[in-house]
Amino acid sequence: MIGSVAIGLLGLLSLSIPVGIVLFLLGFGVDVFFSPFPLIKGLGNMVWSSSNSATLIAIPFFVLLGEILVRSGVATRTYAALDRWVSWMPGGLVHANIATATMFSATSGSSVATAATVATVAMPQAEKLGYDPKLFSGAIAAGGTLGIMIPPSINLIVYGFLTQTSIPKLFLAGLIPGIALAIAFSVAVMIICLIKPSLGGERRVFPLAEMMRALVNLGPIILLFMMIIGSIYNGWATPTEAAAVGVAGAFVIAAGFGGVSMQMIADSLYGTVKITSMIMLVVIGATFLNFTLASAGLGQELEAFLAGLGLSPFGTILVIVMIYIVLGFFIETLSLMVVTIPIIVPLVVEMGYDPIWFGILMIVLIEMALITPPVGLNLYVVQGARKSGNISDVMLGTIPFALVMLGMVAALIAFPQIALFLPQAL
Amino acid sequence: MDFLMTLRAINRKIALLVGLLLLACAGFVLLDIVARQLGSSFGGTDEISGYVMAIATSWGMAYTLLELGHVRIDFLRSGRPPLLRSLFDILSMIVLSGTVVLIAIQCWPVLALSLKNSSTANTPLETPLALVQWPWFAGWLWFAVMACLTTLAALRLILRGELEASEAAIGAFAEQETLQ
Repeated sequence: MIGSVAIGLLGLLSLSIPVGIVLFLLGFGVDVFFSPFPLIKGLGNMVWSSSNSATLIAIPFFVLLGEILVRSGVATRTYAALDRWVSWMPGGLVHANIATATMFSATSGSSVATAATVATVAMPQAEKLGYDPKLFSGAIAAGGTLGIMIPPSINLIVYGFLTQTSIPKLFLAGLIPGIALAIAFSVAVMIICLIKPSLGGERRVFPLAEMMRALVNLGPIILLFMMIIGSIYNGWATPTEAAAVGVAGAFVIAAGFGGVSMQMIADSLYGTVKITSMIMLVVIGATFLNFTLASAGLGQELEAFLAGLGLSPFGTILVIVMIYIVLGFFIETLSLMVVTIPIIVPLVVEMGYDPIWFGILMIVLIEMALITPPVGLNLYVVQGARKSGNISDVMLGTIPFALVMLGMVAALIAFPQIALFLPQAL
Repeated sequence: MDFLMTLRAINRKIALLVGLLLLACAGFVLLDIVARQLGSSFGGTDEISGYVMAIATSWGMAYTLLELGHVRIDFLRSGRPPLLRSLFDILSMIVLSGTVVLIAIQCWPVLALSLKNSSTANTPLETPLALVQWPWFAGWLWFAVMACLTTLAALRLILRGELEASEAAIGAFAEQETLQ
């Protein structure tokens, strides 16, 4: 069954049938060929119960929050402020790209939105100041991926929903790896630019007074992050409620910067509905496939499969990592996550690994998938914000960051505490 | 093409309504948090958000379809000649329409059962389920109808050789545009 599902999955996906629909088709297939009793009768209930969810409504809220921030000019101010603070390092403005992406990740639940936001404000600067486009755009594409690691994260909400793990714990678990990745990105840029300064740009030191003045522009974003995350951990709000708080906060910030208009609200709502429905078709399809796989006895089959392979738990994790890297070249990321969770997560938990830890490991691998060609959405988003040049510049520029992510994968496997320390401590 | 434009325009209006519904729900959740801090609560915000999510999801589907928002993997499709691309597109539209029709058909018994038993939710609000399942079911039905109409309209375009128009109607999504 596992083999047939995997082959069916790849075959149908490559026919360019929408991902959510492919998941339903596979569910039908499992029902017809592998289930002793008809499962399709459960389809209606699956569709109802998976979308009637107070947890998942956090998704449109976080999308809306991001849309409001993007459309209200907050990004430009943040970028200018961070430029004052980090451009003294070797590599110059490249660090501002990473820092802005990190900061937006802390209020946005999506990597693509984060990369799009930073690319829009940063790219004109690169051309004006004569930066080499490769490392500059690569840093945006890679920095943007932090959007799904640093809380809030739509992907972690979906993971928590499908695997029934605690979303607040997943959020906490993503914090240290996310910040560590951001720092590692910057260190990598520094090393590269010390060896080959032409890849970076001019280092700029700003007077202290100007740095202090810039803080005003960072304040609202930091406050918004504290509001969202703080309200979850103080027990005031569930992740869903925190998302609603975030929406209100984003409106206040946007209004403070004079960026609210009827048109802007309407555009934000259109974007929210489109992205939410896109995600939900995939999530509902995955829920149905989950249900059929479980009913058809995936559990027993996996056990037998594992025993047959004779791999140690460690060996299995390595195989899984390889699978994700390879699939990540070809499959869009949320889909990659959602289609593999029903098969891979039970297997990993069966072997005694912590599902929260695995969720974070999976997110790093998904981040890599976002910047590996040919299907790496962030590459296209960043390229879309450039006025000229070839997409291969962006692809080359992300290589060092992909290597850093690979390092993070190794670190997480060697030291699971990187992810598990915070959720266990709090 | 005008026909498809009309469908798009209608669904855009629906999307705005869905967006406003979500916005109202966020406002409601926010009020509840404030009320809770003041020692009282409306109760049932979770339940209501769930219903809003189910209804918003089903009614947003057709809009997303017409804006080419449902994600497709197009590494085999991209770079092919226009005729082959349009075959990929129409195949995936036919498969999608069939699947969504099946989903809508399977959603009906859920509502029918609630109607027959006058079921109420097992919650403090005791919401009559039919009340919230009607709009939810109608959304899926709408999605099924829209998918079939779009497929037929696109098929007509392809048969007439208007491949550019069909690409605009049912092609793979324009990445940067979809994701702002």
